[in-house]
Amino acid sequence: MYDAPLRKTDVETKNTKIVAQDVNVYYGDTHAIKDVSVDLLDKTVTAFIGPSGCGKSTFLRCLNRMNDTIDICRVEGKISLDGEDIYDKRVDPVQLRAKVGMVFQKPNPFPKSIYDNVAYGPKIHGLAKNKADLDDIVEKALRRGAIWDEVKDRLHAPGTGLSGGQQQRLCIARAVATEPEVLLMDEPCSALDPIATGQVEELIDELRGQYSVIIVTHSMQQAARVSQKTAFFHLGNLVEYGDTSQIFTNPEDSRTESYITGRIG
Amino acid sequence: MPLLWLILIVLGIAVAGFVLGRGRALKSAGGDARNLHSLPGYYGNNVAIKVIVPSMLVMLVWLVVQPLVIDGSVSATIPEGAVPENSSLGLVMSEVRRTAEGLENAVAAGGMSQALATDPDADFAEVSQQLQDAGQVVTSQLTQAVLRAAQDYREMHVFGRTIMSGVVLVLALAGLAWGLRESHKAFRARNTVEMSIRALLIAAASIAILTTIGIVLSLIFNTIEFFKLYPAADFFFGTTWSPSFSGRGGSSELGVLPLLWGTFYISIVALIVAVPIGLFSAIYLSEYASPRVRSVAKPMLEILAGIPTIVYGLFALLTVGPLLLSVFGKDGLGWMQAGTAVMTAGLVMGIMLIPFVSSLSDDIINAVPQSMRDGSYGLGATQSETIKQVILPAALPGIVGAILLAASRAIGETMIVVLGAGAAAKLSLNPFEAMTTVTAKIVSQLTGDADFSSPEALVAFALGMTLFVLTLGLNVLALYIVRKYREQYE
Ligand SMILES: Nc1ncnc2c1ncn2[C@@H]1O[C@H](COP(=O)(O)OP(=O)(O)OP(=O)(O)O)[C@@H](O)[C@H]1O
Ligand SMILES: [Mg+2]
Repeated sequence: MYDAPLRKTDVETKNTKIVAQDVNVYYGDTHAIKDVSVDLLDKTVTAFIGPSGCGKSTFLRCLNRMNDTIDICRVEGKISLDGEDIYDKRVDPVQLRAKVGMVFQKPNPFPKSIYDNVAYGPKIHGLAKNKADLDDIVEKALRRGAIWDEVKDRLHAPGTGLSGGQQQRLCIARAVATEPEVLLMDEPCSALDPIATGQVEELIDELRGQYSVIIVTHSMQQAARVSQKTAFFHLGNLVEYGDTSQIFTNPEDSRTESYITGRIG
Repeated sequence: MPLLWLILIVLGIAVAGFVLGRGRALKSAGGDARNLHSLPGYYGNNVAIKVIVPSMLVMLVWLVVQPLVIDGSVSATIPEGAVPENSSLGLVMSEVRRTAEGLENAVAAGGMSQALATDPDADFAEVSQQLQDAGQVVTSQLTQAVLRAAQDYREMHVFGRTIMSGVVLVLALAGLAWGLRESHKAFRARNTVEMSIRALLIAAASIAILTTIGIVLSLIFNTIEFFKLYPAADFFFGTTWSPSFSGRGGSSELGVLPLLWGTFYISIVALIVAVPIGLFSAIYLSEYASPRVRSVAKPMLEILAGIPTIVYGLFALLTVGPLLLSVFGKDGLGWMQAGTAVMTAGLVMGIMLIPFVSSLSDDIINAVPQSMRDGSYGLGATQSETIKQVILPAALPGIVGAILLAASRAIGETMIVVLGAGAAAKLSLNPFEAMTTVTAKIVSQLTGDADFSSPEALVAFALGMTLFVLTLGLNVLALYIVRKYREQYE
């Protein structure tokens, strides 16, 4: 049923990038993430799958402390990036988010020009030495976001004037422009047509050479195509985590099997 | 029949109509409401509407038209000679009306016999004496002509009212019959009620609009009247404001420029105070404050908005003025002569505008979607970077709109200026000098016994018109900007 060829995995040789231990997340009284422990690898694409509302976005947002911006959200447990606890008091969440970039579930371009949208991160972090350098960074990011050809003639038009799919690719370009070490992508392709999806998947595959990419997706085919590792969440629990090929061909848990064959979800 | 009774009777018929109509409709459906086209109450309402609306409309029109008609026909009967030398027909007519009312009241109170009140040959001295005894106001001595006219007036008035009562009652009953005939199970009472409600809403809206148009028209006509007496060029470009108070001498100089300058100067000072403070407190409240602080601080700021401006005026006069004087006055830097100055009024007006700016900006900042902030934080921006580079640019058009609205309030403010800025119309750059504004001068031109046909009084309308055009322009601009900004997130 999954006709896309599963990529050979070479996971064993990779280092762990992010370690999560016994993570619990509460929204007020709602217990959204329950005792999740997982090791996420460097230079690897990890897919988070699971039915709607199971906590994929919530867990993803723990990894760059975006949950700090939600008043009622409480995170317990330990998450470390390269061995450093990111919830330690001494860690600056702003610095952390520069290292762990994020593409959101809904496209959210700033009401600025396309160019300024992409240049935003590099400017804040002082990545460009001069204007020409910044132009280069912007162009490279837009190319990687598979949107350069569509916008190269109107870089100074507002980003909000693009179509939904274009906006999403703009947001991807914006996130990669800051050169993060880890890229969190929350359903980046939910608003994209198959062609743009293919381009974004290519980008993800390319990013794997340098970064660790974590992608939330509702498409089994996509998870199977782009990821080397897959984590299946259900009702706030991490049910199963392992090699993508393993999960899709021979899942251990019956819930995983039901989900990927379309019986629950 | 007194008006109140008439209204009560019509309402009574309406209530009866409601009950009857409802009952009739139910009966036509065999007592089962499910067989009706509409809920039973709608049939009742339909009847009540048909009773009330036509009869009350006729009554209203009658009440307006009757005095006009009677006035016309009575004034035609007053002989030329009955109008005294230095008076006019209008003055005589108001005397006639007063006398007629006096007669009516005196008879009703039993102070005068009906026969005497209606006797056309009655001795007017006696009538006038009796009227005074009955406590009715009759200012000057009655004349035979006035008495006759008053009697005619009273007679026609009573007659007109009687006819009106009859017509209204007949209409109400006709409406009742009409509504009851319709109360049948197939009748679409619900749709009729719907249409009536629509008509009611349209009527309310048109009253609002018509009043506005009326006010503007009266402004325009009086302004034109003013420009007939005083050259427009002198008004718009004159640099001196010195009305002569007698209202007769032609020596008034009514140049609007000093007033406009005062308005402009005080408003600028007010905005310089209000905009940064208001905006920063809005940013603090919406972005940094914890929910607990916010829940206390926001209502506090809004209380500030509820203080009447006269209280701010007192504050300007009694606190801020003396305070400024002690620093900048003779004992301090020596720039300021008296407590009333542009600075005093501007500062206090600025304080008044703070809550206005802050609560509007707060709403606008909150309307910036959370996803914008998330996007910025997700790229590793700090809070103030996010505010400066994402939130404020996104909210800027709205904030500009808020500032323009605040400006138009500053321009229209009166009490603070009257008490805080003094009354001297001056073209000066010194903010510690007394100046005055358009609004404050409108007040001073119209208080006291002004003759409403002199240019000194009519100038108030020209000033009002100028102010109206200014604030209207600002408001239109503000609304345009705010609306344009709304479209961004839709
Ligand atoms: N801001 C919030 N406040 C309160 N509850 C929240 C909030 N965000 C998420 N939740 C709750 O946490 C649970 C997990 O939500 P989450 O958004 O992580 O789901 P998800 O797996 O990403 O779903 P989807 O696939 O639909 O995006 C849900 O029950 C949701 O109602
Ligand atoms: Mg989600």
